[in-house]
Amino acid sequence: MYQWLDERLDLGRLNAKLFRKVFPVHHTFFLGEITLFSFIVLVLTGVFLTLNYEPSTQLVKVEGLTDPVQAAYASILYIDSLPFGAVIRSVHHWSAHIMIAAAFLHLLRILLSGAYKKPRELNWIIGILMLVVTIVVAFLGYALPYDNYAITATRIGHGIAESVPWVGVAVAQIMFGGDFPGSSHNIPRLYSLHVLWMPLVLMGLIGLHLLIMIKQKHTQPKYAEKVAPGKILGVPALPQQGLMSGVLFLVFVAVVFLIGGGFLAHPVEAYGPLSANTPNVKPDWYFLWIYGLLKIIPSSFEFTIPLFNGGKFGPEFWGGVVIPSILLVGAILIPFFSFTEGNVKQRYLELPSRHPRRTSLTIAGLMFLIMCTMAGYIGDPGMEWLTISRAWLLIIVVPIVTYFVSFWIMRAIWGETWQKEPEIELIVGGGQAPRA
Amino acid sequence: MYKNDTIVPFGAILAAAALFLMTYLNTHMRVMESGTVPHLTVGSIGLMAFAMVLFMYGFIGLISNYLEGSEMRPGKHMAPPSSLPMVAGVVLSLLLVGLSGFFARTLVYAAKEGFNPNALQGGVFAAMMFLIALLVVIYMKFFLEQEVMAEADKAEFPW
Repeated sequence: MYQWLDERLDLGRLNAKLFRKVFPVHHTFFLGEITLFSFIVLVLTGVFLTLNYEPSTQLVKVEGLTDPVQAAYASILYIDSLPFGAVIRSVHHWSAHIMIAAAFLHLLRILLSGAYKKPRELNWIIGILMLVVTIVVAFLGYALPYDNYAITATRIGHGIAESVPWVGVAVAQIMFGGDFPGSSHNIPRLYSLHVLWMPLVLMGLIGLHLLIMIKQKHTQPKYAEKVAPGKILGVPALPQQGLMSGVLFLVFVAVVFLIGGGFLAHPVEAYGPLSANTPNVKPDWYFLWIYGLLKIIPSSFEFTIPLFNGGKFGPEFWGGVVIPSILLVGAILIPFFSFTEGNVKQRYLELPSRHPRRTSLTIAGLMFLIMCTMAGYIGDPGMEWLTISRAWLLIIVVPIVTYFVSFWIMRAIWGETWQKEPEIELIVGGGQAPRA
Repeated sequence: MYKNDTIVPFGAILAAAALFLMTYLNTHMRVMESGTVPHLTVGSIGLMAFAMVLFMYGFIGLISNYLEGSEMRPGKHMAPPSSLPMVAGVVLSLLLVGLSGFFARTLVYAAKEGFNPNALQGGVFAAMMFLIALLVVIYMKFFLEQEVMAEADKAEFPW
């Protein structure tokens, strides 16, 4: 059978060129794989959900409920009643959170190890776009259960979209299919964007990301330079790398089903269908930092340009669009502000400790996001101490202090050698892989 | 970043444990304050998401170190033959069959009674997947020839 196929498809050559490709081994590479596996699990569980979900706001009667509810909400109750249905829906929800968290940590790894440098600038940009698209897909799916909590939380995003001067209302109308909530086109529009168009964009970006990664090859752990200088050291794609990825996929499925079964994310029964009562809600955790910015920017921070029917620049626009856009553009431009010595290719992972400025700046950036997230809790019970002025102070001071403290600690530990990568002593010849 | 060490993965597992503990304490305090907790807060969901990623990363990092070592040298390596991995494989396979039957029973129960034991279903399914992962690890460690290669930096694939 193999010979028959090989004579027609030249499988031997495929094996030699693709399946014998060398994959460097380092634990941090698994963060990207976790992101990819989250996407695969999201697609698989999403297929099950689409078979049972009804994207409609038509009112229907549900057994056990006195008042009619929207069909979308009723179909979620139906999915939860199916054997294993609630767990699969919960796994879909958790996988989305895991995908965003893993993509963010993967991005941090790339940043801290200098893997974004030449020749991988394009893949860095594609990676950032993937994170943004992932967040957009997650947001578009948030309102689909059509429960009171999800609709109220989605209104925050709708408000941000509407806040863009001149074009905001039109953009929001296109994305949400009319006024939100209220239009019967809301759910069909969000549904098609969530299950079809945006995932297609994401799939295209993932394919491009992997293709470029295979062409340019991974960066490698630094020790590889002494073992096989100028070469790629690692294990073959098949069977070893494939089996290791299989183990990670199984571990991923095990963890997400254990947590998904034990902690049902977004239990719609607890929130109830859409009603006139507005619950006290917050957006999902990955939007909390923007929500925090919206809370601390004063409502008076607003002006109008009297051109083309007047463009309003309000606090929602500054906090929800301008500041995130500045950070996004800054992140995209990072590779173009760092230069490798002699303009050579970046082959090996850099040690974060040997690049204290970049590492300290990254940690300071993280502190900025954490402080902004904390500002999202202003006014909550137990957070009375956090006033708007204190939040401003924390957001400005903590990242700056963090930068200098972490920079000072790294210089104190590594002293004069902090600018140098470790000395490499070449090993001549090969041998067996030492075991752990 | 210098080699495929165990320090960072181990630290990631500790960080995951700390984040899970933070979520537990957060939820526990809400129970003490209001009596009941109908759902996880967005903050708790975020902490748990990072905890899960860190746990998976740490766990697979340790497995990678166990299977592939911290530094590799070009060559081939095969574990010495032993009957212990085969016995372990048979025992785990039997356990997997038992769990599969039990998982099927939870589905039949849910269909008959109209009640989903979610934690049990998720837990049993997770245990099944974890057992398969363990079987693959045993296969890789004891029955697969470990090969380390050094490839030229210039690649012809895909173009």
